[in-house]
Amino acid sequence: MSIEVVNLSHSYKEGTPFEKQVLFEINLSVGEGEFVGIIGPTRSGKTTLAQHFNALHIPRRGKVLIDGLDTKDKRADLVKIRHRVGYVFQNPEYQLFAPTVGEDIAFGPLNQKLSREEVDERVREAMAQVGLDYRALRDRDIFALSGGQKRRAAIAGVLACKPGVLVLDDITAGLDPRGREEILSVIKELHHRQNLTTIFISNSMDEVAAMAERIIVIDRGRVIMDDSTRNVFARFKELRDIGLELPEVTVLIDRLRTAGFNLPAGVLNVSEALTSISAALRELEAQK
Amino acid sequence: MELTKNITLGVYLPGKSSIHNLDPRTKIITATIMIVLLLISRSYAAFALSALFVGFLITLSGVPAGYAMRGLKPMLPVLAIMWVFQLFLFKAPDTTIYFHWWIFEATAAGLHMGNLIILRVLFLFTVTTFLTLTTSVVSLTDGLESLLKPLRAIGIPSQELVMTLVIALRFVLILAEELEKIIKAQMARGVAFDRGNFIQKTRKIFPVFLPLFIGAFKRAEELIVAMDARSYTGGKGRTKMKTLHMGRVDLEAAAAMIVYGGLLIYIIIFTEPMI
Amino acid sequence: MHKLIETNGLTYYYRKGTRDEVKALDSVNMAVYKGEMLSITGQNGSGKSTLARHFNALLKPGQGSILIKGLSTANKDSISEIRKIIGMVFQNPDNQLVSSIVEEDIAFGPENLGLPQAEIIDRVDWALETLNLEDLRREPPHNLSEGQKQQVAIAGVLAMKPECIVLDEPTAHLDPRGRREVMESAIRLNREEGITIVLLTHFMSEVVHCDRMLVMEGGAIKMEGSPEKVFRQSAEIKSAGLDFPVASQVAEGLRREGFKIKPDIVRTEELIDCLCQLKS
Repeated sequence: MSIEVVNLSHSYKEGTPFEKQVLFEINLSVGEGEFVGIIGPTRSGKTTLAQHFNALHIPRRGKVLIDGLDTKDKRADLVKIRHRVGYVFQNPEYQLFAPTVGEDIAFGPLNQKLSREEVDERVREAMAQVGLDYRALRDRDIFALSGGQKRRAAIAGVLACKPGVLVLDDITAGLDPRGREEILSVIKELHHRQNLTTIFISNSMDEVAAMAERIIVIDRGRVIMDDSTRNVFARFKELRDIGLELPEVTVLIDRLRTAGFNLPAGVLNVSEALTSISAALRELEAQK
Repeated sequence: MELTKNITLGVYLPGKSSIHNLDPRTKIITATIMIVLLLISRSYAAFALSALFVGFLITLSGVPAGYAMRGLKPMLPVLAIMWVFQLFLFKAPDTTIYFHWWIFEATAAGLHMGNLIILRVLFLFTVTTFLTLTTSVVSLTDGLESLLKPLRAIGIPSQELVMTLVIALRFVLILAEELEKIIKAQMARGVAFDRGNFIQKTRKIFPVFLPLFIGAFKRAEELIVAMDARSYTGGKGRTKMKTLHMGRVDLEAAAAMIVYGGLLIYIIIFTEPMI
Repeated sequence: MHKLIETNGLTYYYRKGTRDEVKALDSVNMAVYKGEMLSITGQNGSGKSTLARHFNALLKPGQGSILIKGLSTANKDSISEIRKIIGMVFQNPDNQLVSSIVEEDIAFGPENLGLPQAEIIDRVDWALETLNLEDLRREPPHNLSEGQKQQVAIAGVLAMKPECIVLDEPTAHLDPRGRREVMESAIRLNREEGITIVLLTHFMSEVVHCDRMLVMEGGAIKMEGSPEKVFRQSAEIKSAGLDFPVASQVAEGLRREGFKIKPDIVRTEELIDCLCQLKS
């Protein structure tokens, strides 16, 4: 599925003395099967923008097209759009409300008026996708799950609606390293296996660098960069100016370059760093 | 999807007007007197005078009048129903009958009673909203705490009561935020809160409550722990960074209040009540 | 060195005596030394927060004991003194700010201590200045970024002039700038104001800035020592569900490639120094 945003502006508390414009003339498009990262400081408008993708916000100025369908169109079926564009919120475990894991995951499909068998099938499939054991956990009390499991259950609840786009809003915040890794590998799998269009909002530059092919940088409601991950993280100074950072390993390489090492810019992970540092060290040894 | 937009009660609109600069105690006392007087007013003249006075205060404060009244919007249907009820069901002897059908009678007395109730609700709402719009929660509670202090002598824990009020006011916004998040999360999974009739909409609200209360309790507990960690043990032995001072504006306000109050009491006593 | 906090066989159960009883702390023996910067790490549910909540008597030991400068948290009369010594900052700044104006919020703690008005004003000014928050003093917290709110929360604790500040995952929900600023504040309070810092975190990039670290697993202390010493034990680190700092990952990789990299590198600066030596 594809998303197209045309001249989108948005204000909160419109018509009150507290009115505040949070999005300014946003233009962007996300193609079928892309994995796009969205980064920006807090309150830059990332979440507000993303909530336009599944029609939680309807544009007043500008428009949002989901597979060519205008969310502003009176005839557009918003419920259907929200099922097609799955949205996983920050701290999604707080929004679980059914007593058991299975019932919570079934909530979306039941709203789609599917038969009991179809719903069960969806629940089984979604739980498998996030690595939760259907037999052992389906009837488990939601509150008996661990933090990481709750979060995966919440993602399963969205996957059970069979979305074509997955919007992930800072879903690893507060998790420990192992919990993070588990969630991220689930997301990677989904993207590769099903070619799911994925929009990944995060405050962790390391995660975005590891996950996204392309990054959109938002600052004070405007798109200020929209480029490949490598190119975005090559613009170190600009990112720092708006309060963002580089992935840790990119910082290391950047500082080694300043110290006079012959290394490429825009290194994004440890294995790339190893290859390029080894090459540079070998070259130095050869010169000696 | 914005729930916090139409909440005006309890919202503070910062400003530098003389109304904003009044000692909170002056504002609380004035508002209380106004409300009491309005509750005993029974003539159109009294309300006309009060409308002039409130209008004058709003203009002086620089708060947009439209915004001050905005919070009334969701109450309009309820007000309309109340008005209709009074119109048809209030009975009084010796009154003109405008309209008669089956057991329903629209009478002059009913009309006046309906108007009276609506005017009272309107003023009550406007006065309290106006108070919170021009007074920050902090100074409101400082004012209340100072005014209620004498009650400690008879064993009422006034400081703790005021702290409870502060926390409650903070939670109005937190609850609204929490509610918005949950509604959005459920809309994202296919609940159409924006569709359907009143009963259908009401039914959809039920699954919202469980996560709302769990979320609110969790946040309340965290706040309590954080207050505990910062040595809060109630009002006893607590000191304050700021003390309140009455100034020249407060005297002027008192003078304005005496003129308005005097006129209003005159009207209440000497003019014909509407009912 | 002088022990500020000391636990002895500290054990704690949640829902004790019920069917859902959980042993959250299992005979923990540990100490926090005056003036140090200590990190406590471990998976969610490993007992970090439960342990930290014993430090300022928010929880009382089930078995064993905990002493804060010799004062037992089990003794009711010591609690107010203990809370003056140990300040605590929590994960979510929204849930720990009491007032709707920054300076009033910072005054909340000193007001609770019953200090004279002039002293409260001095302390609020000092806390605002120390954390570079002077420009925000009249702002309502909801106008601030998450990172700024967390700084206000730290200032609120600082104004109580504690000897030790415990930070419970203070950066978990912050953006990169917020995270950096909070870490810089913690380091500055430790180095310049001599305040003992206990930092609970999941980020190894924060752990390496501490003098000493504790790793918890299943309610017990599994590893303890300087980051250099702890990250040497790679099998245990993995079993505790932790990461390695980026610098040690790169150093280890280069070592495997046959380069002479000195052992125990955990910080980026050390790796850069080491590589520069190789170069010259």
